[in-house]
Amino acid sequence: MTDLSRYEEFAEALEMIDDEEMRFEYIIDLGRQYERDDPFPQEWKIETNLMHGCMSKVWIVDDVDDDGRHHFRGHSDAIIVNGLVGMMTEAFSGLTGAELQTITVDHVRRLNLGALTTQRQVGMMAMLKHLQKLGRGNGAMAGAENHDDHS
Amino acid sequence: MTMAKVATDRIDQTAALDVAAARADFPILKETVYGRPLVYLDSAASAQKPRAVLDAVQEAYEKRYSNVHRGAHRLSQLATDAFEEARETVARFINARSADEIIFTRNATEAINLVAASYGRTFLAAGDEIVLTEMEHHANIVPWQLLRDQIGVVLRIVPIDDDGVLRLDSLAALFGPRTRLVAVTHCSNVLGTVNPVQEIVRLAHDHGVPVVVDGSQGIVHAGADMQAMDADFYAFTGHKLYGPSGIGVLYGKQDLLERMPPYQGGGEMIDHVSFAKTTFKTPPHRFEAGTPPIVQAIGLAAAVRYVSALGMDAIRAHEQALLAEATAALEQVGGVRIFGRAPGKAAIISFLVGSLHPYDVAAVLDRDGVAVRVGQHCAEPLMARLGVDGTARASFALYNDGTDVEALVKAIHKAKRLLG
Repeated sequence: MTDLSRYEEFAEALEMIDDEEMRFEYIIDLGRQYERDDPFPQEWKIETNLMHGCMSKVWIVDDVDDDGRHHFRGHSDAIIVNGLVGMMTEAFSGLTGAELQTITVDHVRRLNLGALTTQRQVGMMAMLKHLQKLGRGNGAMAGAENHDDHS
Repeated sequence: MTMAKVATDRIDQTAALDVAAARADFPILKETVYGRPLVYLDSAASAQKPRAVLDAVQEAYEKRYSNVHRGAHRLSQLATDAFEEARETVARFINARSADEIIFTRNATEAINLVAASYGRTFLAAGDEIVLTEMEHHANIVPWQLLRDQIGVVLRIVPIDDDGVLRLDSLAALFGPRTRLVAVTHCSNVLGTVNPVQEIVRLAHDHGVPVVVDGSQGIVHAGADMQAMDADFYAFTGHKLYGPSGIGVLYGKQDLLERMPPYQGGGEMIDHVSFAKTTFKTPPHRFEAGTPPIVQAIGLAAAVRYVSALGMDAIRAHEQALLAEATAALEQVGGVRIFGRAPGKAAIISFLVGSLHPYDVAAVLDRDGVAVRVGQHCAEPLMARLGVDGTARASFALYNDGTDVEALVKAIHKAKRLLG
């Protein structure tokens, strides 16, 4: 059973804010909060962790536990993107490689809710694909190729 | 076409620009973004289109659309006439000696690639040197790097000073026995610096070296007179000059174009084809393989007529006033750092706000309906020279006014409040 409880918390929190401007500020606050409470280690900001093709720098690290579950940490040098990366990596951490492949564009859309422009939505989809790539890259998840076409 | 006539009637070419009237010519400026009025400060990336251009495009498709140069029928003749008239309009606009010196391309990038591929591969050899500058757009770097990788030319780079002014002394010192080409931008898309291209051309010609000028921004903000400038090649794009996307121009001196081989092969550019041998048309058609951007060229001509009717000098004076106003206003905002302080620069302002990431600043501006560009602006080597990963960039056009400057400054204050 795919545990998406953290994802649901984010989606519900965003749904409760009915003003677009407020949702935008929520993402900014989130970005600032991650930076303050759980700063991304400087030594992780290296080329191998860099996600290419972003307007701001985005680093994502993947730690796989003994059960084959992926625990992501992400960071961006732009606060808004940091909020989005933090939300995405937290929402989809704790999943197996195979479970990660079942996450679709619809999941990501619920984290948008109009607060974000198309460009950022595209950025979030790119992040999901990156997480899924990391998920596939690990031997712990046999059969993931069967679930490869969800985005 | 009719709109251009109206504009001519309405505005005396020696008079100051009537900005309110000009704004009304651009339908998109009435749009709202997130419920707020659009404040478009990204014209250096692509300018909005006046009604005159939209009408010309619509009319071309509705009344005289066909392929060009080949049909025996009436419509084809009308389309061909309009297309070739567009070439003449562009030639007059930049004071070329002949419309045969005007090659239609997809954009400025393709125009520069054409020079690199056709002129470069014919007249340059391993060890020959091409002089570029530190402030070039990737479009005026990468084609030369491709040529370097293909035939082994050497690229020499002219530095800029801390104000963003090209170091002419360094340029002069770079000329040597193997210097074969200078490729320089007329106006920097990041710094706004308008280079003294006429002086650069004179200097290069003194050494017998031809010059390629990237006019993508220069044609818009400074205007270009080919006979006065005496550049050998001048490339620009239509969409930054209020014309359609998908149309660019390469001006080339006729004697050079005549000595250059085709860039691409196909229909439209040949005289006779047999499997044994193909002969090519004379320029400019030699360089226009396949069906050209017909309607886009007609749209570009409408844009040229439009800005000509307003008066390039009046547009420039208006932009300069706006640049001074915006610069002064931004300097009042604490912590704003402006990149590019060259005297006589164009109305392009690259900036950072304190330690805020330019992406964050642009995102907050966007929420207020203020459209700016953010990032490296296709000028990564220049970003390295400036010591930054990227900047935000506000660029001004003929339709911007003081209210746009106010909206920009207000949104920057908001960004500082939200992100600081």
